[in-house]
Amino acid sequence: MADAACLPAPARRFNPWPAVIFIALAVLALLFLAPTAGVLLSSIKTTRDIALGQLWTIPSELFWGNYAEVLGNPAVHRYFLNTALVTAPATVASIALGSLAGYVFAKLPFRGSNLLFLVIVSGMFFPPQVILIPLFRLFNAMDLIDTLYPIIVIHTAMGIPICTLLMRNFFATVPNALREAAILEGANEWQVLTRVALPLSLPALAVLATLQFTWIWNDFLWPLIFTQSDEKRTIMLGIVNLQGQYSVAWGVQGSLSLIASLPTLVVFLFFQRYFIKGMTMGAVKG
Amino acid sequence: MERENRFWRVILLALPLAVFAAFVIWPLADSFHYSFTNWNGFNPDFDYVGFDNFLKIHSDKLFLNAAINTALWIVAAIVVPTGLGLGLALLIDSRIPGGSVFKSIFYLPICLSAVVVGQIWVWIYQPDWGLLNTVVEAVSGESFNYAWLAKPDSALWSVILAWSWQQTGLSMVIFLAGLTTIPEELLEVCEIEGARALQRIRLVVIPLLTPATVVVIALNVINSLKGFDILYTMTGGGPFNSSDTLAMHMYNESFKKYLMGYGSAISVVLFLIALTIVRLYFRQLRKVDELHG
Repeated sequence: MADAACLPAPARRFNPWPAVIFIALAVLALLFLAPTAGVLLSSIKTTRDIALGQLWTIPSELFWGNYAEVLGNPAVHRYFLNTALVTAPATVASIALGSLAGYVFAKLPFRGSNLLFLVIVSGMFFPPQVILIPLFRLFNAMDLIDTLYPIIVIHTAMGIPICTLLMRNFFATVPNALREAAILEGANEWQVLTRVALPLSLPALAVLATLQFTWIWNDFLWPLIFTQSDEKRTIMLGIVNLQGQYSVAWGVQGSLSLIASLPTLVVFLFFQRYFIKGMTMGAVKG
Repeated sequence: MERENRFWRVILLALPLAVFAAFVIWPLADSFHYSFTNWNGFNPDFDYVGFDNFLKIHSDKLFLNAAINTALWIVAAIVVPTGLGLGLALLIDSRIPGGSVFKSIFYLPICLSAVVVGQIWVWIYQPDWGLLNTVVEAVSGESFNYAWLAKPDSALWSVILAWSWQQTGLSMVIFLAGLTTIPEELLEVCEIEGARALQRIRLVVIPLLTPATVVVIALNVINSLKGFDILYTMTGGGPFNSSDTLAMHMYNESFKKYLMGYGSAISVVLFLIALTIVRLYFRQLRKVDELHG
C-alpha cells in the first residue's frame, strides 16, 4: 500500500456512490425526523395556527404559551413526582437484584444453574398481559391498588431478567484470578462482589441504568392497571388523561409530550453509547 | 470451600429469586388457574367452569378478529422494521460522512414512550391538518381529508407503520453490530475478484449476517406481541374492533367487561404463542451458533 501511495495519483474515475448514499440517507433522516419535528413545532404554535393547517411549517415567531400552560399545571407536577417516585427505586432495585443473581451465575455456577438462568432470562420475552390478572388480584387483596407500590415492585421483578443477563455476562469477563486472590486474602464473596466485581462493572451498571430508567419512565400499562385516581397517575398516563382537558389544544399536548420525554431524551443524548450497547448486548447475547 | 460456596449461593440468590418467583413465575402459573374460573374482578369468590373459557375462545368472533390482526402484525414485524433496519445499516456502514449522526437520528424514536409516539402519529394521520394528508394535497393539488385512524380499512396498518417507525432503529443497531463482525479482508477479496457491490451484499454480507437477522426478527415479533401501549393511545383497538390485537382483546375482556376468567384464558393463549416463538428463537440461535462458531 505504501508503494501505491508514492506513485503519482492516477486520474480517479468519478465514483458517484458515496454522494448517492449520502443523499438517500439524508432524505430518509428527514422522513424519520418529521414526526418528532411535528411535536416540536406544535409546542411553539397556537391552537389556531395548527387548526389552520400551519403545523408543518417553520413558524415566524415562537409562542411560549403552551409551555407556560403545562409547567403551571399542578397536575403535571404531580405526574412528574409520581413517575420519579416509581422510576428511581425500581431502577436501583432491579439492578441490585440482577447484580446479586448475575454474580452467582458468573462466578459460583452450580448444577442446573444454566437452566435456572435461562428460565430467568426468558422472562424478558413474554408480553406483560400474561401475568396481569393474578397480580391485579394479589395487589387488590393487599389493598395496594391506587398506590405506587405495585408499580415499583412489578418493574423491579420484570427488570430482573435483563439485569441478570447483562451483569452475568459482564461479571464473566472479570478474571477469576482476582476473585481467588481476594478470597486468599480473607475476603468473602460479598466483599468480592461489592469491592472487586462491582467497581469493575461500572460500564454495565451505566448500561442498565439508562435502559431501566427509560423503560420504567416510559411505561404505560402498569400504571394504567394499578392506579385509578389522578393523584397517583404517572406522566405517560397523565398525557392520555389530559388529552380530554386539552382536547383541541394541540399545542399544549405537544409541549406536554416534549416535557414528559425530556428526561429520557437527555439520558439518550448523553448516554447513547451505553444505551445502544445495552440493547445489542441484551439482544445478541440473549 | 464447597460448603462456603453453597452458603453464598443461597444468600445471594435468595432475594432476586424470591422476587422473581413471587411476581413473575407465580402469577404466570396463576393465570392458568384463573383461566378455568369465572372470576369477575370484584368478588373475592369465583367458581370453576372447566374448559368453558377456552370453548368460548372458539366461538368468540372478536377473538378470531384479534388473532388475525395479531398475525398480520407479526408478519409486518418480520418484514418492515427488519428490511428497513437492514437497509439503513448497510447504507450507514458504507463509511459515509456523518454516519454516527444518521445512526442517532434513526435510533432516536427508541427513547420515546409509546404514548408519545402514538400521539405524534395521530397528528400525522389527522384528517384536516395531518402531515400525510397535507403531503397528499400538495402532490395531488386536490383537497384530501381521509381519516386514516377512523376507518376500519386503514386503522390497523396505520398503527403498524407508526410502531415500525419506532422499531426500525433497534433492528438497525443490531445489524450494525453484526456488520462489525464481518472481516474487512473478506470484502476486499470480493472486490478484487470483481464482485459488484450488490453481489457482495447479496452473496457475502447477508448470509454472514444470519445471527443478527435471527435476533432482529425474534425481537420484532416479540415486541409486536407486546405492542399494546401504542395501540391503546392511537385507536384503542377501534374503530369497531378493526385494529384489535390479542393483547388489547385480553385487556378489554378483563378490565372493561371484568371477565377476568375469560381474560386469563386469552392470556394463556398469548403465553403459548410467545413460548413457541421464544423456543423457535433459542433453537435457531443454537443452530446459528453451531454454523458460525
